[in-house]
Amino acid sequence: MSAHSHPKILIVDDEPAIRRAVRTNLVGHGYAVEEAENGRAAVEMLLSSNVDLILLDLGLPDAEGLEVIREIRTYAQTPIVVLSVRDAERDKVAALDGGADDYLTKPFGANELLARIRVALRHAGRGPDSLGVVLTAGDLSLDVDKRRVTRAGREIHMTPTEYELLNVFMSHPGKVLTDRMLLRAVWGPSYGAEAHYLHVYVARLRKKIERDGQQARYVKTEPGVGYRFMADEP
Amino acid sequence: MRRLAGYVSALVAVGIVTGAIGLASTQVHLANASMLYLIAVSALGIFFGKGPAVVASMAAFLAFDFFFIQPIHTLTVTDPEEWIALLVLLFTAVATGQLAAAQRQRAREAEAREREAIVLYDVGRTLSESDLDQALPAVSRRLRRELNLDAVAIEVHGASGGRIERAEVGAPYAVEATRHVATQPAMVLGTNPEERGTALGVPGHWFRAVPSSTPRSERRHPRRLHVVPIHSRDRQIGRLILVRVPGATTFARSEDRMLLAVTNQIGQAVERSALRREAMEADVLQRADSLKTALLNAVSHDLRTPLASIIASASSLRQHDVTWSEDERDAFAEAIEQEATRLNRIVGSLLDLSRIQGGSLHPQRDWYDLGSLIDDVVGRLGPGLGRCTVTTDVPSDLPPVFVDSTEIDQVLSNLLENATKHTPCGTEVRVAARTHDDEIEVEVTDAGPGIPPDALGQLFDPFYTLSATGGQPRGIGLGLAIAKGLVEAHAGRIWAENRTEGGARFVFTLPARTATSVQGEP
Repeated sequence: MSAHSHPKILIVDDEPAIRRAVRTNLVGHGYAVEEAENGRAAVEMLLSSNVDLILLDLGLPDAEGLEVIREIRTYAQTPIVVLSVRDAERDKVAALDGGADDYLTKPFGANELLARIRVALRHAGRGPDSLGVVLTAGDLSLDVDKRRVTRAGREIHMTPTEYELLNVFMSHPGKVLTDRMLLRAVWGPSYGAEAHYLHVYVARLRKKIERDGQQARYVKTEPGVGYRFMADEP
Repeated sequence: MRRLAGYVSALVAVGIVTGAIGLASTQVHLANASMLYLIAVSALGIFFGKGPAVVASMAAFLAFDFFFIQPIHTLTVTDPEEWIALLVLLFTAVATGQLAAAQRQRAREAEAREREAIVLYDVGRTLSESDLDQALPAVSRRLRRELNLDAVAIEVHGASGGRIERAEVGAPYAVEATRHVATQPAMVLGTNPEERGTALGVPGHWFRAVPSSTPRSERRHPRRLHVVPIHSRDRQIGRLILVRVPGATTFARSEDRMLLAVTNQIGQAVERSALRREAMEADVLQRADSLKTALLNAVSHDLRTPLASIIASASSLRQHDVTWSEDERDAFAEAIEQEATRLNRIVGSLLDLSRIQGGSLHPQRDWYDLGSLIDDVVGRLGPGLGRCTVTTDVPSDLPPVFVDSTEIDQVLSNLLENATKHTPCGTEVRVAARTHDDEIEVEVTDAGPGIPPDALGQLFDPFYTLSATGGQPRGIGLGLAIAKGLVEAHAGRIWAENRTEGGARFVFTLPARTATSVQGEP
């Protein structure tokens, strides 16, 4: 992304109308845009050109979107935002676990699209997790060195698991995290299917960090997929 | 066999009585010794029927004449008085024998009719109480026990959509024989004479049926395989196949009658079952039809309304003969966005409904904290529910629920949207959950006008709508139908009622299961 001032985005979708609408919008917001109408063309395009982010439709005519993601991930870490229809939560989770960075449910609004692109580009630009930092979000702050969490300056007591969970969330602001990703990051690589631990711990964590239980401000549920930590004011 | 035994017994009995009279007459003079024969004759009438009794009467007449009437040891009679005595003996004996035999016949018939009535009652009850696939084996078992048969099989077709229904009971080799009935010589009970094209013998009489494919050497009289055709609406629709035990005598008349009545009942049961199926199919078709009509109405009206706004706004934006102000352009764009979003929601609902009705729901269940699920929905809908204050009341010790989170999320969203749509601004909508017996009960209550009593029964029907309050757009009537489908897919129940203090209360339940592994740090 640092190589050029206008990040280049590759749109992979077989619907010309979608490509046109997205292209018009992205160009209007200062992005460079490439298009591909199927998985094969997308892979060729990636090899021949510098792309900063891929918008990938999961319902491509020539290949399973998941296979395209896996193939891309064998040689490139380019952020991938998948586009998919409602009721395909299983596909979305598989795509995210397979290496995609985020997802958008069709039909989507322009603001949502731009927000997802910004988050994905920001994550791509960041280096590996830095040590000795203090992560902040709103009035929350988490001191990685001291393993201390405060809200509005007052310390919140947390169990080790709750702390790890919050640490993972705050290290990936704005990014969707599937149940499986969170389980592996917090409980270890041998976990992945025990989603009920996670749901219970997220509920406990929310009780401690959210001001108003009714309006989850920090930890948002992505129905059927996982959670997303919101660092900025919604 | 039994017949022959009867006649032999008649002669033996007459011999014994003759001997007894001979012995007695050497001691005392017997004036009416011939009366002793009457005892034997009536006993024979009772035990062996008319024939042996008559034979015994004749034998008694001859024996008495031969042994005891002068001149002895000849059949001639000299004294005319003796003639009268002999003739009286003959007539009395014949009459007594006849009476005794008739009595016996009546008793036997009464017995047979009682047995027939009991069997028919049992068969009739079995056929009317259970489905054919269970009733036919039961009827076969009953007949086998009643008639002491080696095997019984019932074959009918046309009962369940062209399929042949077959029930068979009995010894394996005999059951095997029933399967080859079409190619074996068999005795067939004549039934319906009006049968078109096929001669089925004299009704109520057995006749021999030998398939033309049977080799001449095997065309002997079939003794064991018996077939009774089953009819329904003047058409043969099956057969009752009976395999007799080796050495059995022919069926009694009462048994023939019983078999005819049983096949008649089976035929009627098959007809009833066919009618029932037709009625059910017609009902399903009619329901599907009315759903289709409702769907067409929805598509034509509810989908076109947002499309009309979108097309109007978009084409306005493209008009070059007017100059739109910034605000006007914004208003058009906003209309397009709003209406397209609405359209998207309608399409989503239609898809959900078709998935629910097509039975293709596959809940992806896991353990969730119901409080968080409720908070998520309220938080997400928050901006859309601006007209109402939403409060939640979920006890913190509520056990986790085993559900598909997206589906329960949708149930809650639909109920909340429904509540806010039908209540005036500024009132409170309350979401509460609690454990109730072995269920978790979730309720959404509002303080609106409540539900019109005549609408209560149809609220959860697809495409049923009530007008919303405050000039809000009327929905297309799928929200509650979808909520119902999703709750039922979770083995729960959903219902609506009016609160006594005013407003409506929508409740759904989820089965509570105890989570064992959720507690503690994993």
